[in-house]
Amino acid sequence: MLKERQLTELADIVGEDYFSSEEYMRKLYSQDIAALPGLVHDLLDTSVSAVAQPTTSEVVANLLQYCLKERIPVVPRGHGTSGYGGVLATKGGIVVEMTRMNEIYNIDRENMTVEVGAGIIWGKLIEELEDEGLTVAAYPSSAPSSTVGGWVAAGGTGIGSTKYGGIREQVVDLEVVLPDGQIIKTTKAGIGLFQGYKGLDYMYHPGTDKYQWGPSGHDKPGDDVTGLFVDSNGTLGIITKVKLKIIPLRTIQPMVASFRSRKLMIGALKDILEATRPFYLHFITNDFYRMLGEVDKAPETIGEWIVLSTYEGSDAEVAGEVEKFHHFVSRYGGTVESDEIANHEWAERFYPLRIKRLGPSLAPSEVYVPLEHLEEYLEHLDRHFKGEKYAVEGAIDDLGEVAALAWFLDDERRKISFLMGWYRSLDFIKLGLQHGGRAYSIGMWNAGHSLSFFGRKNYGLMERMKSQTDPKNRLNPGKVFPASLNLSIRFNLLILLVATIAVPVVLWFAGLLVPDLIMAYVPWLMLQDVMSVFIAMVIGLLIGVVVVEIANIVPITFLLAIGAHFMRLGRRIFKGSK
Amino acid sequence: MVSELFKGLREEELDIEPTICARCGFCTFVCPAYLDTLWDSQSPRGKLFQLKDLITKNKAIPADFAERIFKCTLCGACEEICQVNIPLLRFWQLARGEIATLGEWPEIINFIDNAIQNSQNIMDIDQDDRLIWTDMVDDLVEGRVQKQAEVAYFAGCNISYKGTLAHMGENTVKLFSHLGIDFTLLGENEFCCGNPYFVAGDFESGTKLADHNLSELKRLGVKTVVFNCPGCHRAFSHEYPHLLGKEAIEGLEFLSFSQFVLRMIKEGKLSFTNQYPHVVTWHDPCELGRHQDIYEPAREVLRAIPGLELREMKHNRNRARCCGGGGILKGTNPVMSVRVSGRRIEMAEATGAEIMASECPSCTMSFNDGMEGRETSIVFKDLSQIVVEALDIE
Repeated sequence: MLKERQLTELADIVGEDYFSSEEYMRKLYSQDIAALPGLVHDLLDTSVSAVAQPTTSEVVANLLQYCLKERIPVVPRGHGTSGYGGVLATKGGIVVEMTRMNEIYNIDRENMTVEVGAGIIWGKLIEELEDEGLTVAAYPSSAPSSTVGGWVAAGGTGIGSTKYGGIREQVVDLEVVLPDGQIIKTTKAGIGLFQGYKGLDYMYHPGTDKYQWGPSGHDKPGDDVTGLFVDSNGTLGIITKVKLKIIPLRTIQPMVASFRSRKLMIGALKDILEATRPFYLHFITNDFYRMLGEVDKAPETIGEWIVLSTYEGSDAEVAGEVEKFHHFVSRYGGTVESDEIANHEWAERFYPLRIKRLGPSLAPSEVYVPLEHLEEYLEHLDRHFKGEKYAVEGAIDDLGEVAALAWFLDDERRKISFLMGWYRSLDFIKLGLQHGGRAYSIGMWNAGHSLSFFGRKNYGLMERMKSQTDPKNRLNPGKVFPASLNLSIRFNLLILLVATIAVPVVLWFAGLLVPDLIMAYVPWLMLQDVMSVFIAMVIGLLIGVVVVEIANIVPITFLLAIGAHFMRLGRRIFKGSK
Repeated sequence: MVSELFKGLREEELDIEPTICARCGFCTFVCPAYLDTLWDSQSPRGKLFQLKDLITKNKAIPADFAERIFKCTLCGACEEICQVNIPLLRFWQLARGEIATLGEWPEIINFIDNAIQNSQNIMDIDQDDRLIWTDMVDDLVEGRVQKQAEVAYFAGCNISYKGTLAHMGENTVKLFSHLGIDFTLLGENEFCCGNPYFVAGDFESGTKLADHNLSELKRLGVKTVVFNCPGCHRAFSHEYPHLLGKEAIEGLEFLSFSQFVLRMIKEGKLSFTNQYPHVVTWHDPCELGRHQDIYEPAREVLRAIPGLELREMKHNRNRARCCGGGGILKGTNPVMSVRVSGRRIEMAEATGAEIMASECPSCTMSFNDGMEGRETSIVFKDLSQIVVEALDIE
């Protein structure tokens, strides 16, 4: 917990109205979109001491300088719409929520870019650009509530990515505040930033108030390091401004086809992707469509395997693509559904969570799988998750990979079963990797996949920069670079209590069972009077302290890897139990 | 008693809804209360998160949280955008009902409650003065009070007692007369529709008012009731059958002003021939639009007026933003209410329209307050005003 003085000084930096340390606020900002099993909160205390909402890059810089000096962990946050744990605290500290930095600074029609505050909502940006006859080339399915900076930090693909790539392909330049408070432009920073960072003592502005921002000395042009900040979950710096590619607003034509089988649908997907250039190519499995039917969101179609292929471009281009689409759908015995259904599915692109009502909880998981392996992967999932209620959808990106997204229906009120069910999210990814895939986003839960995700070279550079700019790992600890557990206070106390009681009990039993052995070798362990019980309890307490210390350095990724096996077994035993 | 906590939500099986909430946050950036503060504690998502904890642990809603729940305008934008179809409007009403049982209602609601109990209207003014709004049209209402007729005009407390809103009632009466409609007014037997109670979650108190108003209308042989106030309209068409059963409103139809005018146009009884050369943008009142799915009649009426150009705001129909007057926010947090209305006025200004129009006393008050002291060329007019001006009737 932070001291009163620190809270006051932080409030001074960010502004009183934009800072809160009230309990309900701390709780709200200590979670993301995913509901976590209760035990996870005990193993990994995600609570924070305060929430700050900076309004300018300079305020972010001042906050980070202060937190560096005061050794306060900082968790950057967009609007908390992801579920990979990227915004969950692992060592306490403060949350820095970016939604107040929500301006559109510049629309550059010549270079077709837009520069925005990292906290602007995609939906708002798209609306504003539309007024100018422009739009973004790709946006996430969470666009109505997610921030631009959040998607840059978490990475991934979305609507428009089949044609224009994911968020990585959209970012032209970033303004980032480094852990020591320096504000940089990534296109100007140069690769040296990642190779030989020397610290930037010279940047502090002399002679003003303690934490007021001063001019930066770092403005050397060099190699573009923008890409190294994408997907980095704010571990290398807080993204404050984003320059994105934009495209002219042209015709958008959604088309929907339904198929009678998985095989036919996947065959059609491959041909459609090869022969046309969809803006967004997406599919829903028959199980998913049935579940959508249960919540009245599945208009009647001929087949239950649904493909949405949306085309973007000039009227003539789109018309040509639509004609080809008709051809490939009929080749696989599919049915091109009505415009009404196509418009419905297009409007529903933002609503993948409709089926949560059937849970009432959903355990999500996402992984990239090559389209050529999709059929085997889906078959494998069927075998592996037999008896589980789950739905799969997928969107194909510009590399021909499927961002496969699974929703496992669950009920968090059934605590044990819900905890055990967590293995499914882990296995969904594991199986995806077995079929030639890669992790979708790293966040915290996938930190074990960082090396393969970023590649050895880039990950090495990122590690190097992290160790130089943030050696104590205070900026978003536990994300991208695996971190250890952070047991809750009550769990720590529980371990100490159990150990303190367990040791005398064990010794008492041992004294009953093998008294001779104890008297012969360790007579001082024999419980004979109150004092010996007391000593045993003290020993227990000391053992508890050691266990707590060890438990608090167990890497989260290690626990997840080991735990998945136990959870898989446990799920079979406890499924359906309260 | 602790076991009685969240009784209303539990009885309607809505206590599970905070668990169903997907936390996607779509509700946040459409919520006037969230947009006013940008703190998640004020958003529907944030409040559901906090309520989930309280309901699970069977803990009472603390006073500061109750205050936040009353910063909601009940505009229903959250329900409209919700991924998992949570009936949020009903949910917030019941949450307010929970606050009522805890005795934590805001002071203004206690005042309104007392006023209705004392004098059957929200202003605590004598019911003898119910028809004060007809002063300028007294010749047109002569002999109309409590007369047997098939058409009734239900003014509601705001139009009846607030001088700045009286023109809405006057215009409707002028139109009735212009059309030769045989209509009746309930006069002192017009009681508050009960909407303030429904907004504040006290359905039981609203029941007595519903019962009274329906009995009076039936006694006078009324078949069609016309409203300028969407709050009253919604109370009659949605809350009354919910409370008293569908049979209670059998034989009665409830029309908003725009629905009534459109019907007259479609039946060939009304046509606009004069030019009305103005650019108008239409604001959908929440209680008519999202709450009752009535979006088009007003637009059709406006389009029927020669010379009038209708320009839509960026957020219109089911995506319309709130005026800031709903949910008794004007009473509980007047300054915030003006900020919310200011945001909507900005959108209207962006269309380049000369007139921002709607059909709601609450919206009228909000926008007039919002425009006061604001450098703007746009003016607000109620639909009834535009209709009367376009028809050039005195």
